[in-house]
Amino acid sequence: MIYTNIALGTASRTGQTLAGIMAWMIEFLTVNSKPILQVLVLPGLAFTLVFALVAVWFERKFLARAMLRVGPYYCGGRAGVLQVFADFIKLFLKEMIIPDSVNWLFFALMPIMVSFVPGLALILIPFDANWVLWDIGSLGLPMFLAIMGIAPLMPIFAGWVSNNKYSFIGAWRVAYMYISGEIPIVICAAAVAIMAGSFNLVKIVEAQSNMIFAIPQFIGFIVFFIGVLIESERTPFDLPVAETELVFGWRTEFSGILFGFTMMAEYVMLQAWSLLFITLYLGGYSGPIIMGNVIGSHIFWLLAKFCAVVVFVILLRCVFPRPRMDQMLKIGWSYLTPLALLNLFIVLGLKMWGVF
Amino acid sequence: MPEPKIESEIMRISWGPQHPMSGQTRILLDTDGEKVHKIIADIGYTHRGIEKVLENRTLIGGIIPIERMNMVDSSNIGIGYVTACDKTYGLEVPERAQWIRSLICEMGRINSHLYAFGLQAEATAYFPAVFLWTTIDREVLLDLFEELTGARWSYNHFLPGGVFKDFPEGFEAKILEAVQYLRRRFKDYWNAMIENPMFEMRCDNVAILEPKDAIRLGATGPVLRGSGIPIDMRKEEPYAAYNSLDWEVITEDACDIMARTKVRFHEIGQSLNMMEQIAKEIPEGETRARFSPFSRAPEGEHITRVENSRGEMSIHMWTDGTTNPYRVKIMPPSLRNMYVFERLAELSEIVVADIPVVVNSIDPWYLDSDR
Repeated sequence: MIYTNIALGTASRTGQTLAGIMAWMIEFLTVNSKPILQVLVLPGLAFTLVFALVAVWFERKFLARAMLRVGPYYCGGRAGVLQVFADFIKLFLKEMIIPDSVNWLFFALMPIMVSFVPGLALILIPFDANWVLWDIGSLGLPMFLAIMGIAPLMPIFAGWVSNNKYSFIGAWRVAYMYISGEIPIVICAAAVAIMAGSFNLVKIVEAQSNMIFAIPQFIGFIVFFIGVLIESERTPFDLPVAETELVFGWRTEFSGILFGFTMMAEYVMLQAWSLLFITLYLGGYSGPIIMGNVIGSHIFWLLAKFCAVVVFVILLRCVFPRPRMDQMLKIGWSYLTPLALLNLFIVLGLKMWGVF
Repeated sequence: MPEPKIESEIMRISWGPQHPMSGQTRILLDTDGEKVHKIIADIGYTHRGIEKVLENRTLIGGIIPIERMNMVDSSNIGIGYVTACDKTYGLEVPERAQWIRSLICEMGRINSHLYAFGLQAEATAYFPAVFLWTTIDREVLLDLFEELTGARWSYNHFLPGGVFKDFPEGFEAKILEAVQYLRRRFKDYWNAMIENPMFEMRCDNVAILEPKDAIRLGATGPVLRGSGIPIDMRKEEPYAAYNSLDWEVITEDACDIMARTKVRFHEIGQSLNMMEQIAKEIPEGETRARFSPFSRAPEGEHITRVENSRGEMSIHMWTDGTTNPYRVKIMPPSLRNMYVFERLAELSEIVVADIPVVVNSIDPWYLDSDR
C-alpha cells in the first residue's frame, strides 16, 4: 500500500515535471520561434543543405543537356533526383584515408571549416527587414566581408597540410586568386555603401526601392559578378582544383566525407556570395507584395533572384575554358581593380552632384 | 630510366600515368612555382612488341596486329603496311581500289582529328561539352565504316593488291549526306573553339616551335605544318589515289598551339572535299589484284612513308624469301613528336597549366609511340 502510494506520488510528481517541461518548451518555442526557425530553416541549416542538393542535381542534369547526354538516369527515376543522396551516402560510408605524413587533426578539421566558415556569413543576409538572423546594424557589410575574408585561409591550410605537390600548388593558387578577386569586390562594395549612405544591409536594400544599383553602377555590377565567380571557385575560374592540370588541386588528398565537405564548400561559397551580390545590386528582397504577406513575398523574391543568378553561373560552366594563372592575375589586377576604382569615382561624382 | 638529380629550389612533379589528362605515360616536370624548367617524357608503359609480333606472322596476317598500334587512326597505319606489302610482292593495285583506300584513310583522318579537338577542348577545361559533341559526331563516320568494312574500329579492309570489298549499294549518297552534316557541325566547332576569346587566350603564343627548330627536332604532321613547313607525305610520295585527287597541303605560320589546332581544322575541310570528290568521281573497275595470300614473299627491302593523322609514319620491310617478313621497322609519328615535346620547355616559356594543352596540341598516341 505504502509502496503503491509512493509509486503513485512519484508518478504524479514525474507527470507534473514532464508537463512543466512541456509547458516551458512550448512557451520557449512560441517566444523564440523566429530565431529557431532562422537557425534551422531559412538562412541556416536547411537552406544550405537543400541548396547544395538541388544545385548539384540541377548542375548535373542541365550540363548534361549541353553535352548531349542525359545525366543521372537510374537512381530516382529518369530525373535522377535520388542520385545526390546516393552519392552522399557513398561518401559518408567510404573510408577516410588520412596519409601517414600529415597532422591528422589539422587534416580532418580543414575540410569541415572550409564549408562552415562561409556558411557563417549567411546569418547576416536580410531576407526581410525583420528576418535577419544576426542584425548588427551598420556592421553588416563589413562583417560579411570579414567573415568571407577568413574563408580562403582554409583551402590554403588544407592544401599545405596534405603534404602533396599538387595540393601545394593548388593551395598557392587559392592565395593568388583570392587576393586578385577580393580587392575589386571590396572596392565595389564600398561604392554601394557610399551610394546607399549606409553599411547596413537592410538600408542598402531599402535605398534600392526606386532603382536597383545595377543600373547606375553597371561597371561595379559586372566587376562584382566576376569577383563572385573568382571567390567561389566557379568555372571559368576554378584554377585551384583544375583537374586537367593539378589532379584535384587542394582537394586531392581528401577522401570520403572529408571530400564531401570540400565539395559542399564550393556551393556554400557560391550561395553566400550570390546572396550578397543580389543584396547589393539587384535590390535584395524587394519586390511586389504577393497576397498581402510581406515577409513571405520578400523571402520569395530573394530566393527567386537567387535561383536566377545561380542558373546563370552554372550556365557559364559550359561556355568558357579556364584561363591560366598569369592570365587570371592579369584579369584581376589589370582590369577588375581599375574598373572597380572607376566605378567608385563615378559613384562619388553622382553623389557630389546630388543625383543620388 | 635513371632519375636525374633535383636542385633544391626545383620541385619535380610526376604527371601521370595516374592523372586525369596524362594518358598511358609518365611525364616528369621540373617546376619552380608554376614555371616548368624541364620536361622529361618517360614513355614505354604500353610497349607490346608489335614489330616482333609481325616477324612471327605471314605478311597478310600482319595487317591485324599493326592496326592495333593506333586505334583511332587504324586505317592510316594499315595503308602504310599494305603499301609496303604491295611493293614487296610487286602488285599493281587497280584504280578503283586506290580510290577506296583513299576514302578510308580520309575518313580515319577526320575521326582522329575530331578526337584530337575533343581532348584539346578538355585540356583547356572547356568543360567536356566539346569532347562529347565530337564523340557523338564520330558516330556518323563510324556508321559509314561499319557499312563499308563491317567494323567500327580496326577495319582490316586493306589487302595487298587492293581492298577487301567494293562499296555496298547506294554508299556514295550516304557519303555525301555525312559530308553535308559534318560541314555544318564544323562551323559550330569553329565558333565554339577557335572564336572563343578564352580559348584564344589559352592557345595563342604558347609553346612556339620555330620552323628551324621544327626541322632540327624532326617534328612531323600537323606540328610541322603548324610551323609553316608544307611537308605532307601524301604530296611528297603519293600513295593510294592522292595523285588524282584535288587537295592542298595546309600550313599556318603562327607556330603556336592555335596554329596546330587550325591546321587540323583545315585538314578536316580538305578531307571532306576529298570524300565528296571520291563519292562523285570514283572510277569503275576491279577492287583487287590477283594474289595468293599464302605465297612466299620475294627477297627484298622496301620503305614506305605514309601520312598518318599525327604525321609521317615510315615502315621498313625486309623480306628474306619466306612467308614471314624478316624484320619490320616502324617509325611512328607520335614518337617523333614526343622528342619535340620534351624540348618545348627550353624553346619557350611553359607553365604547369599549359602542360595538358601543349601535350594535346602535339596529339601523341602513346600506344603508337611505344609500338
